[in-house]
Amino acid sequence: MNISFDLNGTRADWEVAPGETLLQAFRAAGVFSVKLGCETGDCGSCTVLLDGQPVNSCVVVAARINGCRVTTLEGLLDDDLMIRLQTELVEHGAVQCGYCIPGMLISLYALMKQDPHIDEEAIRHALTGNLCRCTGYVKPVEAAKAVVAALEVSK
Amino acid sequence: MWNLQEYRFATNPAEAVALMRKGPGKGAYIAGGTDMLLEHPSCDFVVDINKAGIGDIARTAGGDLFIGAVATLQDIVDNSFVRGFAGGAVSSAASQCGNRPVRTTGTVGGNLCNALPSADMAPVLLALDATCYITDEDSQESLPLTDFFVGPRLTVLEDRLLVGVALPGECAGWRCASHKLTRTAEDISLVQVAVSLGVDEGRIKEARIALGAVAPVPMRAILAETMLIGQEITAITPDVLGDVAAIAAGECDPLDDHRASAEYRRDMVAVLTRRLVARILADDGDNREGGAA
Repeated sequence: MNISFDLNGTRADWEVAPGETLLQAFRAAGVFSVKLGCETGDCGSCTVLLDGQPVNSCVVVAARINGCRVTTLEGLLDDDLMIRLQTELVEHGAVQCGYCIPGMLISLYALMKQDPHIDEEAIRHALTGNLCRCTGYVKPVEAAKAVVAALEVSK
Repeated sequence: MWNLQEYRFATNPAEAVALMRKGPGKGAYIAGGTDMLLEHPSCDFVVDINKAGIGDIARTAGGDLFIGAVATLQDIVDNSFVRGFAGGAVSSAASQCGNRPVRTTGTVGGNLCNALPSADMAPVLLALDATCYITDEDSQESLPLTDFFVGPRLTVLEDRLLVGVALPGECAGWRCASHKLTRTAEDISLVQVAVSLGVDEGRIKEARIALGAVAPVPMRAILAETMLIGQEITAITPDVLGDVAAIAAGECDPLDDHRASAEYRRDMVAVLTRRLVARILADDGDNREGGAA
């Protein structure tokens, strides 16, 4: 079946199978920031934005995104907030093997895009769905807090 | 990959039921799909109900809270009317389901229709007297949520469609709280308890205690509720509370499995029931908190 949707600001027309996941479609189409992890909606390495909201693309059927707006990391590389998040993650040494990082970036981006004035609890709640098997959970939170602090100053 | 032959879209509830019955082969309704893509249920086609007009959350003319079947869990977390209903207990329970990305697409209807004994939304909805609205091609039916679950993974629906649940307006002022006991934030619950009390002039007029993951279906602890109804708040001493909690634990029927023993689950029903009732009664009555115990 054919689906037509907005991928990072560009119209995409893809042929997908009825039971195909959005993650499988991304990987087949070469959108490689979207990582294949657990495929059960637990690890968050395949997180993308569906109409601005974070979803695990491994548990979204590709067929249903017809007419939707999908954003992956590739579409946010020039975005100020995303650049700040990436910079702080690197500055804080949060990136180890790096496999979970695209998903973490998308989750943090979705959170701060909606409301940049957040506390540590909100950051941790937003990252509940992102597992890091290098077990680096403190530094991403510190990096996110640094972004929040910088946004407060630049207000 | 999930072996599906066809993906169908419904634009209204009656059409969804018709598409389900059209064949050929076996069909299933799909909304968020967060459970179905894990389980890959054996079927030839699915009927997508995301655009079937059953996703709204609304305050009805009579003051009831209606939650459409495909309202997402995040919709329920964010909705201001739900947040103000019974102290925000329903929003709070929804915020404990899965993780943030799962809540974006996971729906309340999917959670209920999947009919796991541990369905995250069931206890709080049972504790607030939810009614289910079910549609057929040319008729409607409503029934209490208590009658919706038939067994593990089994509901009364057959090939009909759940269009939503309604909570009566009189429950809006009840004090309600729930707790989901898990090993980790994302895990399936070991035990869930939701308690709601309708308190008027220092007396408990209404009481509901609902339990999840401790019986074949989400259930109410009716005997324990009966012990509370009609009591003055001041009469609920720690001893009385202990009795209520023990009765509730005696009403459930938990399983031993790899997550927890039946004995542990039963003990936790008592602990959580006692804590939730105590916390609700200690609340000053303006229902700021609907959250975890």
